[in-house]
Amino acid sequence: MAKALVLAESVDAQRALAAGARTVADEVALVVVAGAPETGVADKAYDIQLPAGEAAENAYETVKSVFDQVAPEVVFFEPTASLKVIAGKLAAAAGSAIVANITALEGNVATNAYFGGLAEKKQVASGVAFYSNTGALFAEAAASGTDEVEAVAFVEPAQKIVLKGSNPVVLEGADLTKSDVIVGVGRGFAEQDQLKLAEDLAAKVGGDCGCSRPVAENLGWMPRNLYIGVSGVEAAPKAYIAAGISGQMQHMVGVKNAGTIFAINKDANAPIFKQCDYGIVGDVTAIIPEIIAAL
Amino acid sequence: MKIVAAIKVVPNDEAISVAGDRTLDYSKAAQQISIYDLNAIEAAAQLAAANGGSAVAISASGSKAGDAKMKKGILSRGLDELFMIADDAMVTADSLTTAKALAKLVQDNAADYDVIIAGDGSADVYAGAVSVQLAAVLGVPVVNNVTKIEVNGSVATVERTLDTEVQTLEVPLPAVLAVSPEIAEPRIAGMKDILAAGKKPATITDAAAAGAETAGVVAVEEIKAPVPAPRKCEIYGADDVAKFAEALAAAIR
Repeated sequence: MAKALVLAESVDAQRALAAGARTVADEVALVVVAGAPETGVADKAYDIQLPAGEAAENAYETVKSVFDQVAPEVVFFEPTASLKVIAGKLAAAAGSAIVANITALEGNVATNAYFGGLAEKKQVASGVAFYSNTGALFAEAAASGTDEVEAVAFVEPAQKIVLKGSNPVVLEGADLTKSDVIVGVGRGFAEQDQLKLAEDLAAKVGGDCGCSRPVAENLGWMPRNLYIGVSGVEAAPKAYIAAGISGQMQHMVGVKNAGTIFAINKDANAPIFKQCDYGIVGDVTAIIPEIIAAL
Repeated sequence: MKIVAAIKVVPNDEAISVAGDRTLDYSKAAQQISIYDLNAIEAAAQLAAANGGSAVAISASGSKAGDAKMKKGILSRGLDELFMIADDAMVTADSLTTAKALAKLVQDNAADYDVIIAGDGSADVYAGAVSVQLAAVLGVPVVNNVTKIEVNGSVATVERTLDTEVQTLEVPLPAVLAVSPEIAEPRIAGMKDILAAGKKPATITDAAAAGAETAGVVAVEEIKAPVPAPRKCEIYGADDVAKFAEALAAAIR
C-alpha cells in the first residue's frame, strides 16, 4: 500500500494536493503547520500546534516526527517559502532531492519546466519522491477522506529562528490572473515617469499593467505582485501587450497562454518578435502615443 | 567574518535554440552566472565589506563553466577566491547531489564560514531547493526570500519578503540565506576589476577530484522543448502603427 504525505498551507492546495496524492497512493496523510487542516480530504490529518509568534520553519522537527510515523513513499508539498524549507530538510534527511513545480505526473515520471519552460524535463525519483505543486495540477481531481484530525504537540527545535516582527505587504495594482488585457512593462522604458504611457495604454484598452521581474525587483518601479514570469504571476489574458520587453524565457512563460501577444520593441532582433502575433519595431515612448491615437 | 556565495553557471538561455528533434541546442549559448545569483554575489560582497571580512564563491556547474573568462566574471564582482566543481555531471544533477557537492566545497575550503548566500533559484530549474538542502547537509539554519541582512556578532537579523508580509527574523550563525534579487543591484565590473580578478586564486576541478558524488537520486529521462503555441509573428515598422493598432483593436473587441 503506497502512502502519501501532503504538506500544504492554503485551503485550495490542501484539497488539491490531497486529491492528487490520492491518484498515486492508497493512503493519504495531510500535515498542516500554520492554521487548521481541512477535513474530508485525507485519511488522517495532522494539526501541528505551532505556538503563536513562532516561525513556521521551527516546526521542522515536529513535522519530521509525523513523517517518520507515516513513512510515506511520496510527498506532495505546496511551494510556499516555509514549506520549501521544511520539505527540503525532510528530503535531505530521507536522502531525497526535490522535484519542484511539477506540471505532470504519470506513474513515477514527473515533468517540470527547464529554463523557465523553454523545455520540459521528465524525471524519475528514487527513494521517497518529493514533488511540489501549487495544487493547480490536481484542480480537477476529487478529494476524499475522513474527519480524523490528530493534534501534534510542537517540538522545540535545536536551532531556532526567532520571528521578531511582521509587516503586511500592501498589495498594489490589479490581480493580473483576472485581467482581460495586460500591458507588460519592460526595461525598454528608460525612466520611471514614462510608465504613465503604459498606464494610458492600459486604460485605453481596458486592461491592467504588469511588468518584467527587473522592473519590479531591480528598479522597484512597480510592486512585486505585478511581475510576470517564472516565480511571478502566470496570466492568460485575451491580449498581452509586451512594451519594451525583450522576450526572455523567464518572462514569456508567464504569458504563454495569452490569447494574442503584441510586442513593441526598438530592437528588431529582440527575441520577443519570434514569440508574438503582432510586433512593431520602435521606441515605446514614440509608438505608444501613436497606438493610443489610432485606437 | 567569512561569507560564501553559492552560485551556478548556466548557458545563456536567450541563445539556447531548439533542434529539429526538440532537444535543446546549447552550441551558441555562452556560459553565464545564473541571473539571480548575480544579486547573491553582490550581497555577499557588500556583507563582507560592511563587516570587514572576506567573501569567496563556490559553484557546482558544468565543465564549460571552468574557464579563465568565467573565473574573472565571478571574481571581478567583489569576491576574493573561487572554489568550483566544473563537471558535466553537475549540469542536471538533482538538488541533493548539488547540495552535497557544495557542502564538500565548503567543508574543504571555507569551513570557517559565517554566512552562505545563495540566490532564490537557478535559471534552469528555479526550485529554490539547493540552498535549503545545503543547509540541511551542513546542519545549519536556513532562511529563504531574504531581502535584507545585518550581522551582529553570531546572529544575523534578516528581512524576508513574502507575498503578503515582510518578516524580521533572527538567525543564529553560521547559516544559509537564500536571497531575492532586490537584496542588492549587481555591480558592473570595470576593466581594473576584471584584470585584478585574473590574479585572484581559484581552484577548479572535476567532481571526482573535489571528492563529490555524482550518482544522484533523480534520474533525468528526457529534456525536450514543448511544441509552442503557434504565433503569427507579423512584424511592422514604426511607420505602420495603424495596422498594428487595427490588430490590437480586433483582439480586445
